[in-house]
Amino acid sequence: MFGDLRRFDTGPSRGVDWFRQLMDEMFPESGAADIRSVPRGSYPMINIGRTDDAVRVYVFAAGLAPEVLDVSIQDNVLTVRGERPEASPEAEGGETAFFRRERGTGEFIRTVALPEGLDADRAEANCRNGVVEIHLPKREELKPRRIAIQAT
Amino acid sequence: MNEVSRQQTRQQPEATSQEAREPQAELAMQPPVDIFEADNALHLLVDMPGVTRDALRIEVDNNVLSLEGDIQLDMPEGMSAIYAEVRAQRYARRFTLSHEIDSDAIAARIDNGVVHVTLPKKQSHHRRRIEVKSA
Repeated sequence: MFGDLRRFDTGPSRGVDWFRQLMDEMFPESGAADIRSVPRGSYPMINIGRTDDAVRVYVFAAGLAPEVLDVSIQDNVLTVRGERPEASPEAEGGETAFFRRERGTGEFIRTVALPEGLDADRAEANCRNGVVEIHLPKREELKPRRIAIQAT
Repeated sequence: MNEVSRQQTRQQPEATSQEAREPQAELAMQPPVDIFEADNALHLLVDMPGVTRDALRIEVDNNVLSLEGDIQLDMPEGMSAIYAEVRAQRYARRFTLSHEIDSDAIAARIDNGVVHVTLPKKQSHHRRRIEVKSA
Protein backbone atom coordinates (compact mmCIF):
# COMPACT_ATOMS: atom_id res chain seq x y z
CA MET A 1 0.00 0.00 0.00
CA PHE A 2 2.80 2.39 0.78
CA GLY A 3 4.33 1.47 -2.54
CA ASP A 4 2.31 4.01 -4.47
CA LEU A 5 3.66 6.96 -2.55
CA ARG A 6 6.50 7.81 -4.86
CA ARG A 7 5.29 11.37 -5.15
CA PHE A 8 6.35 11.96 -1.55
CA ASP A 9 9.90 11.10 -2.45
CA THR A 10 12.28 12.93 -0.19
CA GLY A 11 15.24 11.35 -1.88
CA PRO A 12 16.31 8.18 -3.59
CA SER A 13 16.02 4.94 -1.68
CA ARG A 14 19.30 3.96 -0.19
CA GLY A 15 21.14 1.31 -2.06
CA VAL A 16 18.42 0.87 -4.62
CA ASP A 17 19.17 3.61 -7.03
CA TRP A 18 22.71 4.86 -6.70
CA PHE A 19 22.74 6.13 -10.25
CA ARG A 20 19.78 8.40 -9.72
CA GLN A 21 21.32 9.60 -6.49
CA LEU A 22 24.45 10.51 -8.39
CA MET A 23 22.44 12.36 -11.01
CA ASP A 24 20.41 14.17 -8.36
CA GLU A 25 23.57 15.34 -6.71
CA MET A 26 24.95 16.63 -9.98
CA PHE A 27 21.70 18.30 -11.04
CA PRO A 28 19.84 19.19 -7.89
CA GLU A 29 16.14 19.85 -8.10
CA SER A 30 14.96 23.38 -7.55
CA GLY A 31 11.84 22.16 -5.72
CA ALA A 32 11.38 22.98 -2.05
CA ALA A 33 11.66 20.21 0.50
CA ASP A 34 9.22 19.72 3.34
CA ILE A 35 10.26 21.72 6.38
CA ARG A 36 10.51 18.62 8.56
CA SER A 37 11.91 16.22 6.00
CA VAL A 38 15.01 14.31 6.95
CA PRO A 39 17.62 12.55 4.85
CA ARG A 40 16.29 9.32 3.54
CA GLY A 41 16.85 6.35 5.81
CA SER A 42 17.11 8.42 8.98
CA TYR A 43 16.35 6.34 12.02
CA PRO A 44 13.55 5.66 12.75
CA MET A 45 11.60 5.66 9.51
CA ILE A 46 7.95 6.63 9.72
CA ASN A 47 4.87 5.67 7.69
CA ILE A 48 1.44 7.22 8.15
CA GLY A 49 -1.82 5.76 6.92
CA ARG A 50 -5.40 6.90 7.17
CA THR A 51 -8.70 5.07 7.50
CA ASP A 52 -12.18 6.50 7.75
CA ASP A 53 -12.08 6.78 11.51
CA ALA A 54 -8.42 6.94 12.46
CA VAL A 55 -4.88 7.75 11.51
CA ARG A 56 -2.15 5.20 12.12
CA VAL A 57 1.50 6.04 12.48
CA TYR A 58 4.10 3.29 12.09
CA VAL A 59 7.52 4.01 13.55
CA PHE A 60 10.14 1.54 12.35
CA ALA A 61 12.27 1.52 15.48
CA ALA A 62 14.19 -1.73 15.44
CA GLY A 63 15.88 -2.77 18.64
CA LEU A 64 14.21 -0.18 20.78
CA ALA A 65 12.55 -1.07 24.06
CA PRO A 66 9.07 0.50 24.34
CA GLU A 67 9.96 2.14 27.65
CA VAL A 68 12.78 4.26 26.19
CA LEU A 69 10.59 5.63 23.41
CA ASP A 70 8.75 8.83 24.11
CA VAL A 71 5.78 9.71 21.91
CA SER A 72 3.98 13.01 22.31
CA ILE A 73 1.47 15.06 20.35
CA GLN A 74 1.01 18.77 20.51
CA ASP A 75 -1.04 20.80 18.07
CA ASN A 76 -1.17 17.96 15.56
CA VAL A 77 2.58 17.62 15.57
CA LEU A 78 3.80 14.19 16.57
CA THR A 79 7.19 13.93 18.21
CA VAL A 80 9.02 10.66 18.68
CA ARG A 81 12.17 10.70 20.71
CA GLY A 82 14.36 8.08 22.28
CA GLU A 83 17.80 6.68 22.48
CA ARG A 84 19.14 3.52 20.98
CA PRO A 85 21.96 1.94 22.94
CA GLU A 86 25.23 1.08 21.27
CA ALA A 87 25.40 -2.45 19.95
CA SER A 88 27.39 -4.18 22.66
CA PRO A 89 29.66 -6.82 21.26
CA GLU A 90 29.72 -9.73 23.65
CA ALA A 91 33.46 -9.98 23.49
CA GLU A 92 35.15 -11.20 26.59
CA GLY A 93 38.74 -10.35 26.98
CA GLY A 94 39.30 -9.68 23.30
CA GLU A 95 39.17 -6.55 21.25
CA THR A 96 36.38 -6.08 18.74
CA ALA A 97 37.00 -5.15 15.16
CA PHE A 98 34.17 -3.38 13.40
CA PHE A 99 33.90 -3.80 9.65
CA ARG A 100 30.65 -1.98 9.10
CA ARG A 101 28.64 0.40 11.24
CA GLU A 102 25.53 1.46 9.42
CA ARG A 103 23.00 1.18 12.22
CA GLY A 104 22.59 4.47 13.97
CA THR A 105 22.92 4.65 17.71
CA GLY A 106 22.40 7.33 20.29
CA GLU A 107 19.67 9.89 20.76
CA PHE A 108 17.18 10.68 18.08
CA ILE A 109 14.16 12.92 17.71
CA ARG A 110 11.72 12.97 14.83
CA THR A 111 8.73 15.21 14.22
CA VAL A 112 5.91 14.86 11.73
CA ALA A 113 2.82 16.94 11.11
CA LEU A 114 -0.45 15.05 11.34
CA PRO A 115 -3.78 15.82 9.70
CA GLU A 116 -6.23 18.01 11.56
CA GLY A 117 -9.02 16.70 13.75
CA LEU A 118 -7.38 13.88 15.69
CA ASP A 119 -8.33 13.01 19.23
CA ALA A 120 -4.96 12.87 20.98
CA ASP A 121 -6.58 11.89 24.29
CA ARG A 122 -7.70 8.55 22.89
CA ALA A 123 -4.41 7.73 21.21
CA GLU A 124 -2.93 4.29 21.75
CA ALA A 125 0.50 2.92 20.95
CA ASN A 126 1.86 -0.57 20.90
CA CYS A 127 5.10 -2.15 19.84
CA ARG A 128 5.54 -5.33 17.84
CA ASN A 129 8.59 -6.74 16.03
CA GLY A 130 10.39 -3.44 16.26
CA VAL A 131 7.54 -1.39 14.83
CA VAL A 132 5.71 1.04 17.08
CA GLU A 133 2.15 1.53 15.93
CA ILE A 134 0.31 4.64 17.08
CA HIS A 135 -3.43 4.64 16.66
CA LEU A 136 -5.01 8.11 16.63
CA PRO A 137 -8.79 8.16 16.34
CA LYS A 138 -10.47 11.01 14.53
CA ARG A 139 -12.72 13.27 16.49
CA GLU A 140 -16.31 12.14 16.42
CA GLU A 141 -17.62 15.17 14.53
CA LEU A 142 -15.08 14.73 11.73
CA LYS A 143 -15.86 11.14 10.85
CA PRO A 144 -17.57 10.57 7.54
CA ARG A 145 -21.32 10.38 7.95
CA ARG A 146 -23.97 8.88 5.77
CA ILE A 147 -26.83 11.20 5.07
CA ALA A 148 -30.17 9.60 4.51
CA ILE A 149 -32.22 10.95 1.64
CA GLN A 150 -35.82 11.33 2.55
CA ALA A 151 -38.53 10.71 0.02
CA THR A 152 -41.18 13.34 0.02
CA MET B 1 0.69 -4.69 3.19
CA ASN B 2 0.67 -6.71 0.03
CA GLU B 3 -1.78 -4.49 -1.73
CA VAL B 4 0.54 -4.06 -4.67
CA SER B 5 0.91 -7.74 -5.33
CA ARG B 6 -2.75 -8.33 -4.64
CA GLN B 7 -3.76 -5.76 -7.23
CA GLN B 8 -1.53 -7.34 -9.77
CA THR B 9 -3.00 -10.77 -9.30
CA ARG B 10 -6.43 -9.26 -9.60
CA GLN B 11 -5.63 -7.57 -12.86
CA GLN B 12 -3.89 -10.52 -14.45
CA PRO B 13 -5.41 -13.59 -12.89
CA GLU B 14 -3.86 -16.11 -15.26
CA ALA B 15 -0.48 -14.47 -15.69
CA THR B 16 1.99 -16.73 -13.93
CA SER B 17 5.06 -15.87 -15.98
CA GLN B 18 8.01 -13.90 -14.69
CA GLU B 19 6.73 -10.72 -16.32
CA ALA B 20 3.74 -10.73 -14.02
CA ARG B 21 6.03 -9.81 -11.16
CA GLU B 22 6.42 -6.09 -11.48
CA PRO B 23 9.67 -4.63 -10.25
CA GLN B 24 7.76 -2.58 -7.73
CA ALA B 25 6.49 -5.64 -5.92
CA GLU B 26 10.01 -7.01 -5.88
CA LEU B 27 11.48 -3.77 -4.61
CA ALA B 28 13.52 -4.50 -1.54
CA MET B 29 15.20 -2.22 0.93
CA GLN B 30 18.77 -2.67 2.01
CA PRO B 31 18.68 -2.88 5.77
CA PRO B 32 21.52 -1.19 7.66
CA VAL B 33 24.00 -3.61 9.21
CA ASP B 34 26.76 -3.68 11.78
CA ILE B 35 29.48 -6.27 11.27
CA PHE B 36 32.07 -6.98 13.90
CA GLU B 37 34.44 -9.70 14.91
CA ALA B 38 34.49 -11.05 18.43
CA ASP B 39 35.10 -14.37 20.15
CA ASN B 40 36.34 -16.23 17.08
CA ALA B 41 33.21 -15.36 15.18
CA LEU B 42 31.84 -12.67 12.95
CA HIS B 43 28.63 -11.04 14.08
CA LEU B 44 26.02 -9.37 11.93
CA LEU B 45 23.38 -7.06 13.35
CA VAL B 46 20.67 -6.19 10.86
CA ASP B 47 17.77 -3.78 11.39
CA MET B 48 14.62 -5.33 9.99
CA PRO B 49 11.69 -3.75 11.81
CA GLY B 50 8.35 -5.34 11.02
CA VAL B 51 9.79 -8.76 10.22
CA THR B 52 8.61 -11.70 12.27
CA ARG B 53 10.58 -14.87 12.87
CA ASP B 54 8.52 -16.74 10.25
CA ALA B 55 8.92 -14.03 7.63
CA LEU B 56 12.71 -14.07 7.85
CA ARG B 57 14.79 -16.23 5.51
CA ILE B 58 18.52 -16.67 5.98
CA GLU B 59 20.36 -18.85 3.49
CA VAL B 60 23.92 -19.75 2.69
CA ASP B 61 24.43 -20.82 -0.88
CA ASN B 62 27.79 -21.17 -2.52
CA ASN B 63 29.49 -19.00 0.08
CA VAL B 64 26.91 -16.24 -0.26
CA LEU B 65 24.89 -15.38 2.80
CA SER B 66 21.52 -13.89 1.96
CA LEU B 67 19.09 -12.34 4.39
CA GLU B 68 15.54 -11.65 3.34
CA GLY B 69 12.56 -10.58 5.34
CA ASP B 70 9.00 -9.60 4.52
CA ILE B 71 7.53 -6.66 6.40
CA GLN B 72 4.37 -7.67 8.18
CA LEU B 73 2.31 -4.76 9.40
CA ASP B 74 -1.09 -4.84 10.96
CA MET B 75 -3.03 -2.60 8.61
CA PRO B 76 -6.80 -2.34 8.55
CA GLU B 77 -8.71 -2.78 5.33
CA GLY B 78 -9.30 0.36 3.35
CA MET B 79 -6.33 2.27 4.71
CA SER B 80 -4.70 4.78 2.44
CA ALA B 81 -1.18 6.02 2.89
CA ILE B 82 -0.61 9.69 3.49
CA TYR B 83 3.12 9.63 4.14
CA ALA B 84 5.64 6.85 3.77
CA GLU B 85 9.35 6.47 4.12
CA VAL B 86 9.26 2.69 4.09
CA ARG B 87 7.92 1.88 0.67
CA ALA B 88 9.11 -1.62 0.03
CA GLN B 89 7.45 -4.78 1.25
CA ARG B 90 10.68 -6.53 2.06
CA TYR B 91 14.31 -6.27 3.05
CA ALA B 92 17.11 -8.08 1.27
CA ARG B 93 20.85 -8.10 1.62
CA ARG B 94 23.63 -10.44 0.57
CA PHE B 95 27.21 -10.93 1.69
CA THR B 96 30.01 -13.07 0.38
CA LEU B 97 31.57 -15.18 3.09
CA SER B 98 35.24 -15.90 3.39
CA HIS B 99 36.55 -19.44 3.51
CA GLU B 100 37.28 -19.54 7.22
CA ILE B 101 33.60 -19.27 8.17
CA ASP B 102 32.07 -22.54 9.32
CA SER B 103 28.84 -22.25 7.35
CA ASP B 104 27.29 -25.25 9.13
CA ALA B 105 27.53 -23.52 12.47
CA ILE B 106 25.85 -20.23 11.52
CA ALA B 107 23.18 -19.27 14.01
CA ALA B 108 20.65 -16.45 13.94
CA ARG B 109 18.00 -14.93 16.13
CA ILE B 110 15.61 -12.03 15.78
CA ASP B 111 14.63 -9.81 18.64
CA ASN B 112 12.43 -6.74 18.35
CA GLY B 113 13.22 -6.28 14.67
CA VAL B 114 16.98 -6.74 15.00
CA VAL B 115 18.51 -9.85 13.44
CA HIS B 116 21.69 -11.14 15.03
CA VAL B 117 23.62 -13.61 12.89
CA THR B 118 26.64 -15.35 14.39
CA LEU B 119 29.16 -16.71 11.89
CA PRO B 120 31.72 -18.83 13.75
CA LYS B 121 35.14 -19.38 12.29
CA LYS B 122 36.40 -22.88 11.68
CA GLN B 123 38.38 -24.35 14.53
CA SER B 124 41.60 -24.27 12.53
CA HIS B 125 41.26 -20.53 12.09
CA HIS B 126 40.77 -19.61 15.70
CA ARG B 127 43.08 -17.02 17.08
CA ARG B 128 45.99 -18.53 18.96
CA ARG B 129 48.40 -16.85 21.23
CA ILE B 130 51.94 -17.94 20.60
CA GLU B 131 54.08 -18.31 23.60
CA VAL B 132 57.42 -16.59 23.34
CA LYS B 133 60.04 -18.62 25.10
CA SER B 134 63.01 -17.07 26.70
CA ALA B 135 66.29 -18.30 25.44
